[in-house]
Amino acid sequence: MDQLSQISTPVLAALIVLCAPLISFGLSAIAGKRLRSGIPATVAIAISLLAAIFIFATVWNGQQVHQQTSWFRIGEHSFKAGILLNNLSALLLLLVCAIALPVHVYSMVYMKGDYGIHRYWLYLSLFCFAMLGLVMADSLLLMYIGWELVGFASYLLIGFWFTRPAAIKANKKAFLINRIGDLGFLIGIAIIYTQFQTLDLVALFGDHGMVREAFNDGVEWRYAQHAMPAFWLTIAGAAFFLGAMAKSAQFPFHIWLPDAMEGPTSVSSLIHAATMVAAGVFMLVRISPLFDAQILLLIGAIGAFTALMAATIALTQQDIKKILAFSTISQLGFMMVAIGIGQYGVAIFHLVTHAFFKCLLFLSAGAVIHEMQHVKETLKLELDPQDIRNMGGLRRYMPHTFRLTLVAALALAGLPLTAGYLSKDAILIFAFEWAEWQSAWWKFIPVSLLVTSALTAFYIARLVFKVFYGKPRISAIGQGTNYLHEAPRGMLLPMLFLGLCSLFPLFSYNPLLFEDTWIIKGFELPETLERVNIYHTVVPAAVNGLAIVMIFIAWRWYAQGKYPQGSLRGRLYEFSAAQWYLNVMYEKGIVKPLLKVSKMLYAFDRTIVDGLVDTGAGTVRWFANTAQWLDRALVDGLVNGVGKAAVFAGGVLRGSRKGKIQYYLFSMFLVLLIVLFVGLKIFSP
Amino acid sequence: MSLLSVLIFLPLLAALLILLVPSAYKALYKYLAAGVSAVQLLLAAYMYTSFDEKLAGVSAIDSYQFVEKLPWIRLNLGSLGSLEVDYFVGVDGFSILFLFLTALVMFVAVVASWKIDKQPKGFFSLLLLLNMAVMGVFVALDFFLFYVFYEVMLLPLYFLIGIWGGARREYAAMKFFLYTLFGSVFMLLVMVGLYFSVIDPVTGNHTFNLLHMMDGKNYLDGSIFSVSGDYQLFGIAARLLAFIVLFIAFAIKVPIVPLHTWLPDAHVEAPTPISIILAGILLKVGGYGMIRICYSIFPDIALDSAWWIGLIGVISILYGALNALAQQDLKRLVAYSSVSHMGFVLLGIASLTPEGLSGAMFQMVSHGFLSAMLFFLVGIIYDRVHDRMIYNFRGLGTMMPKYTAFVAIAFFASLGLPGFSAFIAEAFTIIGAFNAESVNGLLPRWMAIGGAIGILLSAAYFLWTLQRMFFGETRLKGGDEWKARLTDVDGRETFVLVPMVILALLFGLMPSLAFDKINASVLSLIELVSGAK
Amino acid sequence: MISLTHFLLVSALLFSTGLYAVLAKKNAILVLVGIELMINAAVLNLVAFGRYDGGLYGGQTFALFAIVLAAAAVAVALAIILNVYKHYKSINPDDINDLKD
Repeated sequence: MDQLSQISTPVLAALIVLCAPLISFGLSAIAGKRLRSGIPATVAIAISLLAAIFIFATVWNGQQVHQQTSWFRIGEHSFKAGILLNNLSALLLLLVCAIALPVHVYSMVYMKGDYGIHRYWLYLSLFCFAMLGLVMADSLLLMYIGWELVGFASYLLIGFWFTRPAAIKANKKAFLINRIGDLGFLIGIAIIYTQFQTLDLVALFGDHGMVREAFNDGVEWRYAQHAMPAFWLTIAGAAFFLGAMAKSAQFPFHIWLPDAMEGPTSVSSLIHAATMVAAGVFMLVRISPLFDAQILLLIGAIGAFTALMAATIALTQQDIKKILAFSTISQLGFMMVAIGIGQYGVAIFHLVTHAFFKCLLFLSAGAVIHEMQHVKETLKLELDPQDIRNMGGLRRYMPHTFRLTLVAALALAGLPLTAGYLSKDAILIFAFEWAEWQSAWWKFIPVSLLVTSALTAFYIARLVFKVFYGKPRISAIGQGTNYLHEAPRGMLLPMLFLGLCSLFPLFSYNPLLFEDTWIIKGFELPETLERVNIYHTVVPAAVNGLAIVMIFIAWRWYAQGKYPQGSLRGRLYEFSAAQWYLNVMYEKGIVKPLLKVSKMLYAFDRTIVDGLVDTGAGTVRWFANTAQWLDRALVDGLVNGVGKAAVFAGGVLRGSRKGKIQYYLFSMFLVLLIVLFVGLKIFSP
Repeated sequence: MSLLSVLIFLPLLAALLILLVPSAYKALYKYLAAGVSAVQLLLAAYMYTSFDEKLAGVSAIDSYQFVEKLPWIRLNLGSLGSLEVDYFVGVDGFSILFLFLTALVMFVAVVASWKIDKQPKGFFSLLLLLNMAVMGVFVALDFFLFYVFYEVMLLPLYFLIGIWGGARREYAAMKFFLYTLFGSVFMLLVMVGLYFSVIDPVTGNHTFNLLHMMDGKNYLDGSIFSVSGDYQLFGIAARLLAFIVLFIAFAIKVPIVPLHTWLPDAHVEAPTPISIILAGILLKVGGYGMIRICYSIFPDIALDSAWWIGLIGVISILYGALNALAQQDLKRLVAYSSVSHMGFVLLGIASLTPEGLSGAMFQMVSHGFLSAMLFFLVGIIYDRVHDRMIYNFRGLGTMMPKYTAFVAIAFFASLGLPGFSAFIAEAFTIIGAFNAESVNGLLPRWMAIGGAIGILLSAAYFLWTLQRMFFGETRLKGGDEWKARLTDVDGRETFVLVPMVILALLFGLMPSLAFDKINASVLSLIELVSGAK
Repeated sequence: MISLTHFLLVSALLFSTGLYAVLAKKNAILVLVGIELMINAAVLNLVAFGRYDGGLYGGQTFALFAIVLAAAAVAVALAIILNVYKHYKSINPDDINDLKD
């Protein structure tokens, strides 16, 4: 009780944010099938949103709020559970709630009538709880708990339609790859704990935190009386980055995200586009003081490579959700680059803008898929409702959806007036500036980002033009009856909200200059690099020029149907369409050998280890059998032999005169005589 | 008679009562057994709550609780002095958790054997005898008494597997019996050796008192196990040899690779309640024995051999997990996962850090709930169709949603999902093992990383099983006949499963429930062992 | 002078004759006669040795006792033979072989 009165208002609000989805989760868990309505979950997340707005208003650019209570003790160390609210967590809390609420509303329509809808709300509430917990956690341990729980919720939601073989393979893959990352996270925690004896985020990474105070001369990494060889600092950074790579789908751990599209589209929009996959970026920013120069370079390089790779794959995918998935991977690569070049505020800014427009893209895709599914069912066609080759000309039937998609697509391509323009330009400009101070080789990072943003404009334009322009590919649609409808209002409203958030006014009064964005200002800038002004004009121009050219090409090819037939379908096309053959390589290089090793080990266990035991037992049994044979044949044989000999002699002597009394008497007499004779012979003196 | 003795001997009384009840009233047996187990559970819960967590125990008699000490055997051996064996029981942080765990698992086991109709009289009286022996093992503070309970434990198990088991039950029972006997026979020799090396400081007689054995001052100079350690047997220091022998005796129980092969066979052949007891408690006797006897009596050797023990732990983790990945029999998979999970116990004990040791203790408790739950779940499906091959089932999720939910919870809890007890246990074992190099230099850091890979593998085999058996379109080997028989979990089964889920959750969310009880003991043990340097 | 040896000689002769009859005759009555002869050989021995009894007449008394017993035995034996004959329609000992296993 005493503790309760000490809780400050923002912390209380944070508890409300956290508990509302938890209560909804508990309700759904207890009610089971009886609770099929999504209203409790939606109300819960709405409450969370209100509380999050309050927290944001109190905490943003104000005092950091940190309250904790003792959780448990091991030995002399006390482990605490608590809530840490500062600019970063307040912003992310608001973002998660602001994305989750529209998705909940959208889901009420989108998932209506699904057989397992009670599970859907259960899992979704669990996800919200875990994600919010991850964001407000004040220690690495609590963060790890949220980290794993969001992975678990994602597992459940990817495999929501668990009778589909593809879905249950995808969720297993997602969880296992995330587990590799968790492993890194756990080892990172172990290193930190060993060095600093605490897992508290403020104590570790705060302004005068232990990590900053620790001494490192390249040989020894020392804090107070604890010392480790310096390479453990690098390993710690790499371990945490491993966790972020798996969660934020960076090469080579990105392969789970495209498969995760097997889940419902609303889930993809919330978890696999806007929030959970960004948790890796969030975590890296949270522990940023830990990284030394090598790790930052590694993060930047991996991010840039991932961005480029994913964009090349997105060019040729035919599944609308897969295109968006690779686009997400690519954009996460942008955020990683921002972290790699030390611009944490920019990374978070891009995280926020991306969350809005990518979520909107997914929801639009969901609306389109919904209608295609409807067409498929009414016309009884055999088609894949997610394949963009089956779509086309939808602009006329779904005008609102089209307009909203267009906003999101422009934001993704980074054209002016959108939020995406601000954040993407910021990353590119800082990357170029950063490269000035690195060796020439590192120029590849900004250059590949530039190429990526051109490719981005192309693939998203391809998607928009193929889906909404041209003529409907299914002949039945164009004739007479209207099979296609605009998405219902319950889906359009949340999309409209996200569309508004994807425009510039939410982030900056100046649509062209990212420097005025309040989010970036809310984060401390690291050592200010010398401004190379030329980049601030050339880069946006280059990006937008390239984007416009790309969009024009896409318009010619896909909207006007002047596709250069055949000329493009070469090896490169196949390479991209097959997603760089990475899945095959994993299957052949890791999964199969692992299973083979486990089979071999089991055979070893059965034949060698157990075989040794059985051989030992067999040897003992052989000795036992031999001993038993000896016993029976020799020792017992002797005794039995005497008896048997007597029986034999008796049988012989008895002859054929059986039962003749006089013969018996004669024999007795004879024996008497013999005995007498022998007795006299022996005993006579 | 103290509360502790009541707790130990209550089941024995009930077993005698069962023997007296004529077979005509055989329905009564299970109610009797369940009643006694419930009373025990209440008693254990009372002891758990009234346990004073500030008292450490370990080697100091005055900080043990619920102590009862009665002279048991007094024999004048003439020139050899007089034989002193005491009935000496007491509870410290290491035992209190196991008392509660034993009471709980025994209760679950009784409920799980509700449908046993083959000679129920024998079954339930043996079960109760086993109950008494296990309780005794966890509280005995006299080596002789410990040994008696330890051996008595073996006997009912042999019959329970050998009579009520599956197709190859005789093979499995024999294997189990011989393995364990192999270990304990040598333990007897060490026990006698210790007896002649240690004297009671008060009476001056030789003694079996475990606490006296933990104090180096009580050893006679020049005796076989004297602390100076100059006595040699077969060219090896006698104390080292004794440690190895005791370690092997307990390691067979844990079990470690390569002494584990009795476990899959015993589990697969044992009836469900016995599998529950085996995995739930008996494996913990091994870990408990190591802490209580190996580490406390031979701390000097424990320090020297920490590296090897840690290595064995890591090998067990990885080897068990990889083997589990190759299994096609669900019960065998769970059995190998036990080998893997118990490897963490070894790793944690070897690290000798507060985090590692607490993690190891927590892992034993957590594995107690979770493995009991897993075996019970396997038993449910086996009860219904007498088959448990993974490939013979598919898409059970549609037919048995509640069952699938329980299985998924048990699987995820076992693979270390936060919120459940195994997560805390494994995370802190790893952290402790990693920390060891900085704190006491006993274990290299790569061992912790090796253990962490085991966590990854455990996710692989559990998820793969979920995918193969429970998800997808329903397809069963036995067709419609199986479909009719595979009903969802009933009330009795839910009654068993729900408390275990709740406990796993409770310990996962409030680890202090366990950590607070063992903290003082853990620190005191670490002091005892590292003081032997 | 007729010495003890002569008595014993006659007695042995009588006993041998009886024994022969018991072992060789194929008629139960003659076997019975053989038995009587053997008993009488024993009685003769008793009387002959009785001379050395020193006036207590133990030998004579015993002889009388034996004669009475023999008479009783003959009566019983004859009754048995009669019954055997009734049962087996034969008194040849070789025909009555129910004792064999």
